[in-house]
Amino acid sequence: MAKFILRRFFLLLITMFLVSVAVFMITEASPGNVAKNVLGAFITPEQERSFLAQMGLDQPSYVRYFYWLFGSDWLAARKVGLPLTRTVTDDGFVEWWAVRPDGALVRWKLEGDNLIAVSKLPSVGITSEYNNDNRWKAGAGTTQTVWGVDTANHVVRWQKGSDVKVWSFVIGTGWMESTGGPMEYIPLKKGFIRGDPGISLRTGRPVSKTIFTRLRNSIVLAGIAFVLVMPLALLLGLIAGLREGSLQDRVLSIGGMMFSVIPEFATGIFLILIMAVWLQWVPGATVFGEQAPWERPDMLILPVLTLTLIELGYILRITRASMVEVMKSPYIRTAFLKGLPYWRIVFKHAVRNALMAPITVIMLHVNWLMGGIVIVEVVFGYPGLGKYLLDSAMFKDINALEAGAMILVLLAVGTQLVADIIYTFLNPRIRYT
Amino acid sequence: MKRRDPIHPLVPQLRQDLAGGKISRREFLRYAALLGVSVTAASQMAGMICPKKALAARIRRGGTIKVATGIQKVTHPAQFSWVEPTNIMRQVAEYLTFTDKDNITHPYLAEKWQASDDLKTWTLTLRQGIKFNNGDGLTADDVIFSMNQWLNKDVGSSLLGMMGGYLDPTGIEKINRYQVKLHLKKPEIAVPEHLFHYPALILNHRTFEGDFVKAPHGTGPYTLDVYRESERAVLKRHSDYWQTGADGKPLPYMDSFEFVDMGDEMAPRIAALQSGEIDMIDLATTGGTAVYKALKDDRRVQVKPIGTAQARVLRMRVDLKPWDDNRVRMALKLCQHREKILALAYFGQGLQGHDFHVCPKHPEYCEMPVPAYNPQKAKQLLKEAGYKDGLRVNLAVGSEWTDVVRYAEILKQDAAPAGFNVVLQTMPTSQYWEKWTEVDLGITPWTHRPLGTMVLNLAYINDAEGNPVPWNETNWADPEFSRLLEQANGTLDVDKRRQIFCKLEKIQWEKGSIGIAWWQNNWQIITKRVQNSDPHPTGYMLFNEVWLSS
Repeated sequence: MAKFILRRFFLLLITMFLVSVAVFMITEASPGNVAKNVLGAFITPEQERSFLAQMGLDQPSYVRYFYWLFGSDWLAARKVGLPLTRTVTDDGFVEWWAVRPDGALVRWKLEGDNLIAVSKLPSVGITSEYNNDNRWKAGAGTTQTVWGVDTANHVVRWQKGSDVKVWSFVIGTGWMESTGGPMEYIPLKKGFIRGDPGISLRTGRPVSKTIFTRLRNSIVLAGIAFVLVMPLALLLGLIAGLREGSLQDRVLSIGGMMFSVIPEFATGIFLILIMAVWLQWVPGATVFGEQAPWERPDMLILPVLTLTLIELGYILRITRASMVEVMKSPYIRTAFLKGLPYWRIVFKHAVRNALMAPITVIMLHVNWLMGGIVIVEVVFGYPGLGKYLLDSAMFKDINALEAGAMILVLLAVGTQLVADIIYTFLNPRIRYT
Repeated sequence: MKRRDPIHPLVPQLRQDLAGGKISRREFLRYAALLGVSVTAASQMAGMICPKKALAARIRRGGTIKVATGIQKVTHPAQFSWVEPTNIMRQVAEYLTFTDKDNITHPYLAEKWQASDDLKTWTLTLRQGIKFNNGDGLTADDVIFSMNQWLNKDVGSSLLGMMGGYLDPTGIEKINRYQVKLHLKKPEIAVPEHLFHYPALILNHRTFEGDFVKAPHGTGPYTLDVYRESERAVLKRHSDYWQTGADGKPLPYMDSFEFVDMGDEMAPRIAALQSGEIDMIDLATTGGTAVYKALKDDRRVQVKPIGTAQARVLRMRVDLKPWDDNRVRMALKLCQHREKILALAYFGQGLQGHDFHVCPKHPEYCEMPVPAYNPQKAKQLLKEAGYKDGLRVNLAVGSEWTDVVRYAEILKQDAAPAGFNVVLQTMPTSQYWEKWTEVDLGITPWTHRPLGTMVLNLAYINDAEGNPVPWNETNWADPEFSRLLEQANGTLDVDKRRQIFCKLEKIQWEKGSIGIAWWQNNWQIITKRVQNSDPHPTGYMLFNEVWLSS
């Protein structure tokens, strides 16, 4: 068993790697322009270039994938010549700083042709600014360049002394002529395998901050639906399957089929129209505040009900079919002939075998419930993972998309593993070596 | 003439025009306001009493309004390219001027403005005693700093395109602590309107470092409490706000303002509005047609319409075949059955258009007959242009704009008798925006602008080097048209300006590159408990004086 789980674990890693490469390549190849998605359709080519450079999107795709996986800070630290560190301010903003040998944190900004260092002593909380022009190093021709951390979490190569003259406005001083500016950007990140999926291009927030909230919301929604549906569907399926052709079987099968063939967007809209607009019993959309999703449980009712109706019929019919088949099999007939009591035949002999098929389906559906409930989320405006991934895909927001894909792979492989383990309990003949 | 008259010399002239019926009262107010007369004074001159909002007894303080909108990434206000984030931030920071729903521009943070006779020197005087929400006082330095941000190439604000043509950073002069003088490169009448353009928020020069969310210091009625992109934003009452309410206490009346991101789909937002979970939907960029249709008869909400100069523009690239031939362009323009298009594509909620980019709501609009649907003439024009067997054209359409799609479908049907085979190329809206200037034939949404000259300057001229200006999506320019427009840009007399506009409109109708079938209404759709709120043609939320009934 241990060997089996270990093997599955390696399989998981390989799957994650392949999926991440595939998502990267598909996003790369799909049409769309991130700069225009974020900044609007009316940006100038210069704005677009500057945006792409600051986001690090001007790099070739293999470099970006590499940075996404392993991070860029260690490479950037070598350019700056000082170790870099990531801090979180009291207001929750992530900041990158270089660490001076004396322990003070330092960042730089350019004012005209002068390099100004902003340093902070984390222990005392004092910040100070000083001229740091001695960091300039001779570059090509008459130019001088310097690598440093800027105030927007990039490592930047500044240049001065080039032929390009720019006017820039310095707070407190006025307009200053300078002969250069930022030439190259490396956005700082730790990389996925070190637990940092990066910054969302769409929202500018760290993906990890948003995605776990979204995942939690989806888990709450799907979890409630799952807990409601599965026992109910299994029970009703068994009841229907035990007495094939009876009235209750017909009612359950036809009713179940009816709801599972109506697509969830239609069910959702009908429920909104009836329960929220007409009867006004429950809210027809989810509007969450600070304590989401607990502060308004009534908002969960319709999404959960929609999911329940869709799932119920499906699982019910599979359980029923499986039960019918098992009840017809020779060993059940033998059990009857042996004179065993009816309830014993059903629970001891039939149910365990009849559950094999539904368990497989249920486990596959866990994954579907996490990512695939996007339609229900969109209909109800529910801030879940599926909607987040949909929006990210529309925006070509690669960091968010990769992180979401990884979570889904983890779930898919994980639930499959759980299903495999459950099989061994249901049918002891199944062994994994 | 030696003594400096506090009133602009053109104001008495305008007053005569008003008395003689040459301009309407509204135009008088507008232009008097443009010339630096406060609206109260101007309305007294116009012989009407300024409607004072005397509702103090009924006003209820407190409460929270909830708005469904997109919570987008915000860094530099001057870089705003969508209206949604500005509707949040305009509650926190403010503008120098304020253009109201009737297109009249009022003083705001600037107490008054004065233009020189040649319209090349503008003096802005700031209201004194206004404080930022971090305690700093508002001074000329903040205005100069903000303007420099707008005009800084590295910031990349759309204001650079709007104001950069007539104003250089070196032309901004500080007179004293509360006065700034703008020395323009060429005459411009729309300076006050431009100062209300949505990226033109006044920033605190002491604390602003490029990211407004990190230092949200503005002079507005609310302070920024929470801003979580794609989730929610919470604004709290700014207790030291400079405006006073009708009850004698400082504004605003409400305690807080909450914005919720419910995704792009309209259905959940509508359901939430119906059940009172939210009070308003931000319709600034999505357009309100779906919401209007769903809620126009709903007794739980208020639907407030407002006419705008917003249009779906059928645009033809004049440097690409077959649209380089004016006869082909005219033929397609004649295929628009305007009454039908307005009724079917927009439920009759608007005004019929004329194929020139001047709206009847603009003060300088010169009345012209609405062109009739004429497929016979169109067919003949096509024949003359050498397409006697008809012409197959591709029309690029953004599929999420349902009214654009319907407009295109009606056009396809009505253009068939003339010999046009219009093939609709639908694409996601985002994709349309990627090539809106490149397609040869497409339908582009254009937003409302308060003055007739504004869009014409943006889209139908060449720059100094003779290349089309960036938003000239059809590459159309006409020397006579450009000359007249230049003249109109420096003409204050509405009557004279309208005469110029008669010619401009005629040229654009006869030779132009666009068809405009209708001008759209906009709506403000809010729950019944929201009081004292007016719709704005641009979808701006001006909620200083809004209060909530219990």
